Formats: sequence, structure tokens, C-alpha cells
Amino acid sequence: MSVPPEAGAAGAPAGSGEEIFQVSRRLRTGIEGDVHEHLVEALYADAGRIAARAVSRPGRERRATFDATLDRIVTSRLWGFPVMLGLFALMFWLTISGANVPSALLADLLVGKGYPWLQELALAAGLPAWLRGLTIDGMYLATAWVVSVMLPPMAIFFPLFTLLEDFGYLPRVAFNLDRLFQRAGAHGRQAMSTMMGFGCNAAGVVATRIIDSPRERLIAILTNNFALCNGRWPTQILVATIFIGGLVPAHLAGLVSAAAVTGVAMLGVGFTFATAWLLSRTILKGEVSTFSLELPPYRPPRFWRTLYTSLIDRTLFVLWRAVLFALPSGAVIWLSTNVEIGGRSLAEQAITGLDPLGLALGLNGVILLAYVIAIPANEIIIPTVLMLTVLSAKMTGVGGEAGVIFELDSPEEIKRVLTAGGWTVLTGVNLMLFSLLHNPCSTTIYTIYKETRSARWAALATLLPLFIGFAVTALVAFLWRALS
Amino acid sequence: MEYLALLAGAAAGSALLGWPRHGLLARWRAARDASERVRREDALKHLLKCDANRAPATALSLGGALGLREAEAAALLRDLEARGLVSFAEGRLALQPDGREIALHVVRAHRLWERHLAEETGISEARWHRLAERQEHRLTPAEADALAARLGHPLSDPHGDAIPSPGGELSADDGQPLNAIGTGQPFMLVHIEDEPEDVYADILRLGLRPGMRGYVMGRSSAVLRLWIEGREVELRPSMAQQLSARELDAVSRADLRGERTLAELFPGARGGVIGLSASCRGAERRRLLDLGFVPGSVVEARFASPAGDPTAYEVRGALVALRRDQARYVRIAPEGEVAA
Repeated sequence: MSVPPEAGAAGAPAGSGEEIFQVSRRLRTGIEGDVHEHLVEALYADAGRIAARAVSRPGRERRATFDATLDRIVTSRLWGFPVMLGLFALMFWLTISGANVPSALLADLLVGKGYPWLQELALAAGLPAWLRGLTIDGMYLATAWVVSVMLPPMAIFFPLFTLLEDFGYLPRVAFNLDRLFQRAGAHGRQAMSTMMGFGCNAAGVVATRIIDSPRERLIAILTNNFALCNGRWPTQILVATIFIGGLVPAHLAGLVSAAAVTGVAMLGVGFTFATAWLLSRTILKGEVSTFSLELPPYRPPRFWRTLYTSLIDRTLFVLWRAVLFALPSGAVIWLSTNVEIGGRSLAEQAITGLDPLGLALGLNGVILLAYVIAIPANEIIIPTVLMLTVLSAKMTGVGGEAGVIFELDSPEEIKRVLTAGGWTVLTGVNLMLFSLLHNPCSTTIYTIYKETRSARWAALATLLPLFIGFAVTALVAFLWRALS
Repeated sequence: MEYLALLAGAAAGSALLGWPRHGLLARWRAARDASERVRREDALKHLLKCDANRAPATALSLGGALGLREAEAAALLRDLEARGLVSFAEGRLALQPDGREIALHVVRAHRLWERHLAEETGISEARWHRLAERQEHRLTPAEADALAARLGHPLSDPHGDAIPSPGGELSADDGQPLNAIGTGQPFMLVHIEDEPEDVYADILRLGLRPGMRGYVMGRSSAVLRLWIEGREVELRPSMAQQLSARELDAVSRADLRGERTLAELFPGARGGVIGLSASCRGAERRRLLDLGFVPGSVVEARFASPAGDPTAYEVRGALVALRRDQARYVRIAPEGEVAA
């Protein structure tokens, strides 16, 4: 029997508590409509009355005209999309070109100077070789690599993004693109989390917090990985330059490889919509769904504040998580190549074991192993692949000792190593596809787990793209071999 | 060796079959018991509904409601009588107190669960009834109470049926059949009968929900024409028999004719909010209320997105974008009819 608690607390006899309950129930039945709605109405009516008496808004007319004019331009049929594409192209250009110099500086500092210095230090301290290898060659080097490749683009991209957000432009992007997302069963604001995903998927997953509808938010989280993140662009560009640019005359190479990378990114967008459509009609059908999109007034962005918060909240947050995962992963990379059982290292045995599956997918064992042990960050895939290729093909004269990841100066040198490792154009094409369609990095998986508080959704977000990746690469490999 | 294998196989087989609680036999027995319990509960529910609507219950009516042959229905009633749940005193089939309690709980659980599905999930309306038919036999009274508390002790389910309080009375179906409402008389839909299911699905497709207001525009023997929430709806009188309505005296036909939805407002035009459509439920409804789409608010349509949908509306000083499907939920009177 559900008697209101206060009836019992007042010490009244049970009979009268029941009586009060019945009376209240009768009174409630007498109210036409929903009680809570009457409350909301009354609140709005009171608030409106108070605001009308107490609030004056000088200069409101002029502001409203300015906002209306700007809105007419950025949401017009003619200018809406060009303005949007222009702004984002500019943002990506600033990020990619602007990150080159600081990235090189950081790499020079952390890898070029810090790494030998630490090695000498450890040698002077008399540390045993295995400990030096594990901590400096493994853990330090992987972490230094992740930091130097990851930090500069994020430190440029995130503040730019936050400035646009602060100015009030991003909600207009969601407004312009909502129809597209609506067809796929998603929310217009997913445009923003997807855009953020191009910078970093972990940050993109956090950015889905702005989607207040549970179903659409899950869709945005589960499909964010299809936005080609910053860590994967270098892999795409490198592989496209080597294998696809190499197929056409030199003067077309740049254009063709750029088109190939853009094509892969667009394919990712396509998968975002297709997967969203599928998810919203199958497993997410029963989740609650609502839509609302506020278009706040424009305001001058607070530059320094934005810079500070985006660096602290987004850049350092993501970087810290990446470092946490890079440390143990560096150890795993070093151990797998240096621990030997039966005369062969674990990595070599794993490569032999993974080769049949890898070759069936048009890839190889080295690539699959690299995607397993370099799970903390997509940034170190190419260095890991190079190191493993040299190791498994027993090449000499390139790279360092086993377990020391490295990068080469020119694409030609990389191409030489990879071709010696048995790579073909098919391997290149499928690596580009697999780089787009595979499990998110561990930082992102952990972020998904934290955001959804569910191991189930994190597992789905991990396995779904991986499954799609296997299916797509297998299909491409099959068709490629059948046609050639 | 072979004997041993045979023996082990036999042991495994009999364990699979006869293991207490998890063996196939035990499972089959449990499933049979459960389905018999479900049938008993459904029968008690039928008797309670007949009782509430002052309709005489018989083995024949029970068979009709549960899809049983008359002999089966009679056997079921004998079983219920043996358990002390029903009696035939004074030549009338009636519920005993224990039977009434079970029946009331089942009805309460059913309606609470439908309410839960409507308010807290995104599951489509057409599936609510069937899911609740299953869940009503699974919820314990304590679970039903917890659910009621979480939902804020709701008074009615999404069809407009009252949710009985535990140990309370089941109230009779409200209103009168829509077919009995006079032409031109303003009414409010109060109840939609959800059985038979296919007719119910047709009614949902027409967009009719309890709480909607309208009037009968005209009727013939084959068709009933309604003006309801700003649009015209035609339905067969046999369908209308599943709808109950209450006559409204304070509302005029002109008021009903003047109603529009926000979706019909062109950019630059304004209107005063009358209320939200009854078909807007749960989180969606609360969101619209929170945004300020409450009676008395003045809304101006501002501009549409390049793709035509959504549209930005100004309401209480804020610019809010709504999709067309949502804007259809907001009932308005075009500017001039409601004081700003």
C-alpha cells in the first residue's frame, strides 16, 4: 500500500494517513489535464510577468537586426553550405599546415635529443640492458612519439573549433545539416561531434554530450569512429602518396593521392550515415528520442578564455589519456619483439600466425599485429609497421634495434622497405580502408566506456567498425584478385 | 569401454531431461504452469472488466475474450472456483475478494507498463499493448508499486483508461461511443479501445489519441467525418465504435476551426500557443514544455534551414529550431485571436 511517507511521519494513525491519501487522489482526479503541465504553465506565466516588469533591454533592436542578417546569410540556400565548407576547409588547412613546424620541433626535442640523452643517462646509471630497452626504447619512445604527433594539431584544432562554438556559429551548422542527419535517424548536432571527431575521436565522443536525446547521442558515439581522426590522416596521406600516387604520371600524383585521401574521408562520412540509419532502426529502436536545437544569439568569442579552456578541457584531457595508454603499449611493443620463445620473438610468431588472415584481407600479418599492439594511438601505426616489417623480413641497414619504432625521412625509403616486406598496391588500398574502418584507439574506447557507463556499448563501438573493416577489406581483396 | 560410454550418455541424457529446476522436464512443467497462470489471470481480468462496466460475465463471454471454446472456458471457470477466486452464488458469476485482488493487480500492472513504455522509452505505440499483455503477468505487486512511484503515481494509461490504485476500484469506461455524439457537437476523445489489435493500429495510423478535441462534421452509414485538431479525418463507423468521447460544452466549433499547428506557420507569421497535441508524449512533450511552448506563449516562425526542415521559431525571446514533425504537435491560434 503506497501511503505518502509524511502521513506516517506525522505520527497520525494509519487510518487517517490512508484517508489523506484517498482525499488527495480524489482531488487530483478532479484536475483536468496533467498536474505537472499546469505547474510549468504557471512558472512561465509568473516568470513572464516578473521579466516584463523588471528587465529592460537597451540596444536589443540593433542586436536582433544584426543576428537576423547574419542568420539569413549563414542559413540561406545559396550561401549556407559554401560558407560552412569554406570555414571548415580553412580550419583543416590551418591545423595541418600549422602543426607541421611545432610537430617537427617536438619530435626533434623528445625523440631526436631526449631519447639519446636518456639512453646515455641510463647507461651511466648502469641499468641492465633489458630494463633500458623496456623503459626507454619501449615506454618512453612510444609516449614521446604520441605526444609530438598528437599535441600540435590538437592544440590548434580545438581552440579554433571552440572559437566557432563560442561565437554561436556551430549550432547553425547543426541547423543546416539536420535534415541529412534526420533521414539517418540522427541529430543535427551530430554534425558537431563528427567534426570534432576529425580532430580526435575521443574528443568527438565527449562532444556528443551536447546531444540531449539518449538515442541520438548513442548513435553519435557509436559512429564517431567513422570520422577520420587526426592520427589517421598522416597514414592515409603517406600510403596514398606511395601506392596510389605511384600509379599515375608524376605531375598527377599529388592530385590523385589527395583525391584518394578525401575519398576515404568521404567514405567514412557515408558509413556514419549508413550505420546511424541501421542502428536507429534496429538495436537502438527502443531508446528515448527527442529533438531540440537552440540557436543562441551571436556574441564576440572570449579569445583567451576559449584558448585556456579548450587547451585544458580538450587538448590536455585527451593527451593525458593517450599518454596513460601509450606507456604500457610501448612496453608491450618492446617486449613482443624482444622476448623470444624457441629462438623467435613473440612478434615474429604472431606475424606468422596472423599472416593467413591478413593476406586473405589483402593486408598482412605485420599490419594486423601493428593494429593490435599500437592500439593506444593511430599515430604510431606507421612507425610500428616499419619496425615490424624490418624485423620480420630480417632487413639490415634500416631502423634501430628490435622494438625501437622509427620513421624514415622520405616516402621513397618507406616504399623501399614496404615493398621488400611484400606490399602491393592492394595492400596499400586496403590499409587505407582498414585505417578508416577498424576499432577505435584505446583512448577512445575508454572514453566511450566512461561516457556511456556501459561495457556493452563500448564493446559494440569497438567491434562494429572492426567487423565492417574485415568485411570491406575482404570484399575488396576478393574483387581485386578476381579481376586481375 | 562401450558400456561405459553408453552409461555416461544415458546419465547425461537423463540429467538433461530430469535435473530439478533446470532440466527439460522441469522447464516444460514451469512453462506449462506459467501459461496456465497467465490464462487464469486473463480470465479474472475479463471478469473484473465486465463487473466494472456492469455487463454480465458468462462462460461464453469469457471464451470470446480469451479465444477459448465454451467447454474450455467452463473448465477454466471450474478451476477458478476450486481455487476460491470466483463464485456462482445467487446464480451469478462473480469475483471473490482474492480473485478481485489478482485481477486488479494485473490491470494495474498492464496500464502502468503502458504508461512506462509511453513516457520512458522510444518503442512505437503499436507495440505497447502487446508488450504490456506480457509484462502484466510478470510484475509483482511490489514492482508495480515501485513503477507507479517512479512514474509519479499516474492516474491514466496512454489510452485514457484510469490506472486503479492497489485495492481500489476499477472505474467504468469513461465517455460514450463516438458514434453516439451528435453532429456538430464539440467533444474530446477520452478512450481508445486497444482490442482488436488491427483496428487499433488503423486508429493510430489516423493519428487519433485520447485528449484530442474536435467535432463531427458529418456522417453517413458508411463513413464518419471528423474535424479533429485542425484537420479532417474520415473513419468507418465500426472503427469509431472503439473510440469513446466526452461532450465539451465550453468550446465552440469556431474555436476548433480556428486552430492551426505551428508547422503551418510561414516565416514571419506569429501565433499564440493553445497547447500541445495529445499525441506528443513523454520526453518529447516535456522538452517542448521546457522550451516554453506553453499556453499563452507567442511564437514567431523566423526562417527555415536550407533543406526546408527544421525551422527556427522565436519563443519567449529565444530562438529554437523544431523539426516539422514536432511543430505539428504545437497547436496555435494565428495572431490576433490570442492576446499577446
